[in-house]
Amino acid sequence: MHTRKHSAGLLTAAALFGLGSALSSAPAAAQSDSEDGGFFSSLFSGMDFSLGGFIRPETAISTGSENPYNQGGNVFNGVPVMRHAGDPLTGFGPILPNSGLTTTLTNLGLGPLLDAIPVVNGQLPVTDTIARPVPKTDNTFNMLIVRGELEAGIRFSSDLSLVARLRAIYDPAVYDDINGGTLENSAGGIAGGDPALYHHQPNMFEYRVEGDSSPNPLEWDGKQYQVYFPALFFEYNHGPLTARLGNQQIAWGQAIFFRVLDVVDGLDLRRHSILDNAQEEFSDKRVPALGLRLGYQFNDAVLADAYVQKFQPSIYGNPNTPYNVIPTQFTVHDRYADGGYDDKISYGLRLKGNFGQWGFQAMAVRRYNPDGVFRWTASGVNQNLPNDNLFGIAENLLHSGAAGTQTTGELLAQTPFEAAPGGVYSAREWFHYAGMARLNAVDGLNSAINEFTPSTTALLASPAGSVDAAYNELDTFFMAAGGALRGHIAREYFAENVFGLGASYVTDGEPGSLLDQLIINLEVSYTPNRVFTAPSLSSHYLRENNTIGALVLEKYQRFTQAFPATYMVLQYMHRTKDDLFGRSLKGYGGDENSPATGIKGGANYVVFALQQPFPQDIYRVSLATLYDPRGGILVQPGIKWKPRGSITVDAFYSYINGHLGGNPNKNALSTADFADEFTLRVGYQF
Amino acid sequence: MWIKKYDFDYGRRMLLEKTIKGVAAAGVLAPLWPLIAKAGDASKAYPDELLSIEAYTKGKVKPGDVITANNVEAVKDLLDPIAYQQVKTMGRKINIVESTKDVTKLFPASYLEATLKNKGRAKLDSVGNVYTDNGEPWIGGNPFTDPQNGVEAMANLTLSWGRHDYSMYAVRDWDIAPDGSIAYQYDFVWAELNTTARADGKVWNGKKDLLRYQSVWFTSPQDTAGSSYLNTWYYDQRKFPDLYGYLPAFRRVRQFPTNQRFEPLVPGVTFFLSDAWAAGDPMLTWGNYKIIERKPMLGAIGPRNFMGGYNDNYERTVHGGPKNQTFHDVWMELVPECIVLEAEPTGYPRAPVGKKRIWIDVRNGMYVAYVTYDRRGAIWKSFEPAYAQYSNDKVTIKDAQGHPAWSWVAAASHDVQANRMTRFVQAKEVKGGYQSGYGEGSQDVYNKYLTNQAIARLGTA
Repeated sequence: MHTRKHSAGLLTAAALFGLGSALSSAPAAAQSDSEDGGFFSSLFSGMDFSLGGFIRPETAISTGSENPYNQGGNVFNGVPVMRHAGDPLTGFGPILPNSGLTTTLTNLGLGPLLDAIPVVNGQLPVTDTIARPVPKTDNTFNMLIVRGELEAGIRFSSDLSLVARLRAIYDPAVYDDINGGTLENSAGGIAGGDPALYHHQPNMFEYRVEGDSSPNPLEWDGKQYQVYFPALFFEYNHGPLTARLGNQQIAWGQAIFFRVLDVVDGLDLRRHSILDNAQEEFSDKRVPALGLRLGYQFNDAVLADAYVQKFQPSIYGNPNTPYNVIPTQFTVHDRYADGGYDDKISYGLRLKGNFGQWGFQAMAVRRYNPDGVFRWTASGVNQNLPNDNLFGIAENLLHSGAAGTQTTGELLAQTPFEAAPGGVYSAREWFHYAGMARLNAVDGLNSAINEFTPSTTALLASPAGSVDAAYNELDTFFMAAGGALRGHIAREYFAENVFGLGASYVTDGEPGSLLDQLIINLEVSYTPNRVFTAPSLSSHYLRENNTIGALVLEKYQRFTQAFPATYMVLQYMHRTKDDLFGRSLKGYGGDENSPATGIKGGANYVVFALQQPFPQDIYRVSLATLYDPRGGILVQPGIKWKPRGSITVDAFYSYINGHLGGNPNKNALSTADFADEFTLRVGYQF
Repeated sequence: MWIKKYDFDYGRRMLLEKTIKGVAAAGVLAPLWPLIAKAGDASKAYPDELLSIEAYTKGKVKPGDVITANNVEAVKDLLDPIAYQQVKTMGRKINIVESTKDVTKLFPASYLEATLKNKGRAKLDSVGNVYTDNGEPWIGGNPFTDPQNGVEAMANLTLSWGRHDYSMYAVRDWDIAPDGSIAYQYDFVWAELNTTARADGKVWNGKKDLLRYQSVWFTSPQDTAGSSYLNTWYYDQRKFPDLYGYLPAFRRVRQFPTNQRFEPLVPGVTFFLSDAWAAGDPMLTWGNYKIIERKPMLGAIGPRNFMGGYNDNYERTVHGGPKNQTFHDVWMELVPECIVLEAEPTGYPRAPVGKKRIWIDVRNGMYVAYVTYDRRGAIWKSFEPAYAQYSNDKVTIKDAQGHPAWSWVAAASHDVQANRMTRFVQAKEVKGGYQSGYGEGSQDVYNKYLTNQAIARLGTA
């Protein structure tokens, strides 16, 4: 740590910022008879510059399985799966006596043809077996990075300061992963999407959207490095007013980890996703935003907190990065920039009051939901179906491009699909991953067809009337595509109003008892007409009124004289329409054999966590558990050791089980089931 | 050459007799406070043996000497048990100086004036809270110049911790591992604003139901900087303070339970919130107060302990322990009469502390030594303060009223069971640019440092 006062450089900086008047109000402090300061000494007597930071290697050693959302961890890699083609003339389903097709053929006098087509339950006698031809990866490390942070404070006067925190991360990318550019099949390679994300080695850090390769202000990323300012703002305080102007993070609410009133910032899930030490909450996860925050302390009890800031979305891990959770059979087109969302603002007001044992808070926020929503979008990839298979030949003959007609590539470009490797290879894979992604496999197929006509119908696609028909149709097109189709989806953002209320109460009980000084906190938020991703990926998004509530019990209890108090927290969360990650519950419950059924009654989560410091707090053990009663649990024991002031060692193990019973796609935690790991961080601060 | 008016043990005998008889008035030869009121000179209240270390030790120790393992036996009964062991076994040295006769050097001037002005007006109500004779919250200065019992002695410590209506301490802390090395170093700032029991006789902002606002925020090192806590103390000393905290990882102010006052604050620091000023908890949450003895002690209370002019940031030279880093250099003097007070944490049935023992200088009501015992009765920790009037041969620091400032200058908390030492100084300035100071001046210190919004702001990024 270094502190320097009255540096000439800073004087110059202060002058440049026009801070002369503010600088004159130096803090009242001890005065010395022997100190004879002149005018300038007095003017800048409150000025101070301080700098500190740390460097920290962070390692997560996998004890789980490969990430199934990535190419190399796809559960179908190398697994033989039979595909059975369907008959487009029957809508890929059984021929029904009263179906339109039957009636039409009969009216045309072609009824006997129906008997001539060897169709059984919509299936043609064409099958193959495919083993997803992407190499399996085998990673020892889920994460291996070096993080450095610098924090600087420039105090121009007792009222005005500049706070800067700079974070830099380097990832040597020693992972066993898949280079998207190496995937080839008879249709060609992967052509769609941002080449920096889909055509090369995994891009560990860059947040790239359509039309802007670096939409985050004050952030500079490369494939293997990230440098940004989580905080860079001026702070002005005078009397009860505090103003912060610049890039900053804002957290609201008393509940930890459960985000009920904590709605201001989105989350940055690059780096270590949500798998850092759970009890650090989202310390490096909130996406900073350029904004103005005003706080006003009315009296001891009541304060107001308001903000207006540039809208910044949550950031998901890039394709094929270790903690990515968007199946890489998808190509995502993030419309944050080209949709014009990058000049939107969010704003909100919170009032907070403390009255003895009681505390209250209320908030109202107008924001763009940073999670965003997804829908099918035209791939824009003009890549013909290959002629190495019967269906590809048939389609290409049908759409030869002659006489001004469109080729299969041109038609596909107008659908959400791209004939390319690294996509979905079988109906079974489609259903499996739809369940994992909390999407409806059949509705998803149908909306991709219905909302992209006439291109889809020209390609002989038709909405599936059943699971079997969907299987048949999907397998047919995967065969036609030379193996696989990649799906293209767009990410968009919608404005919403979020209203929240919170109350807390601190109990008075028998001194030393469990019920003494128990902090009870209840928080509820309500969002009318929240927009969710439809499980069909339709552009007709789901709109539902969403309520989220959390009850939190916190307690410090001394169990022995020898050890400091144990901190315990028990939290219960209920969400009426979505899960912990903001996904609609209507997309829950799918599996390889059936589309999502949705779950009723809302989602419930229970957290129990504790921290036990040892004497002098040099060691601190912790345990965090998150339980989803529908069959998921996260258990994270850990220890923090601070042998010297400059050194901190953090070690924790994350155990995630999303298949405690029943369909894993009915609980939220199965999404991270793969990520069992041991994390070690060794920090050196200066 | 000392002229003995009384036999050698007279002073100590009289103090023992006062203890046995429960005589509350300070002074041996004469009541102390009339002398202080008259001339600020306590010397006529005590015989030579209680004013002169040379007389007390029969010449074995005199001003200018250094107490070491070789001569510590001569002053063993003038040190708390842990300080004695430090000298005896750990290489600690204590500089000895003349006793301070001028009592005005033991107070901030305004506090002494308030003490004298309001003398005799304090009463304990039926539950033990201090009110004036007309039922108002205490109006400043020590409420009980001659404490009749332990609660009254404790009230002198509790109501105005730092003896200023507002203080801000820039604190630099070093924590010594058992091997004698510096394991941790922290900078933090401590602010305390009394709303009642103010030397200016006012009630701050009409807050009669409160005693003080107090906040603490760490400014270094980086992983601790920004951790901030706000205590709001009620005037009713049966009530726990409200406690709110800002932890940088959480990015927000959260409520904390207030009865967990015996917990490590940050890694390596040995003292608890409960240890502040030997009176870190509302006084009626403790009980079984007993004055067990009156005796002389050695205390670091004189102006030589002020490091202004000797060190730019008022930091201290150190010595002793395995790596010559463990102990501050301090200058102790003979304090003629201390109340030895014991109390038990009756309101904290799960506290690891079994009792505390405090040595209180009867002249200013401030403690000069303080130790705690664990539940088994074994001695656990000491919390040894050093005070000074901020005026020496090189520099004088003035308080808000323009008088030479008085405050604590350093403290050391030694956990003898873990053999860890925490020592800290009131620095001129710490990281973040915060400076020690006394008095609100033109600043709105309440909004600046002592609200929920303030501690969130002090939490920086």
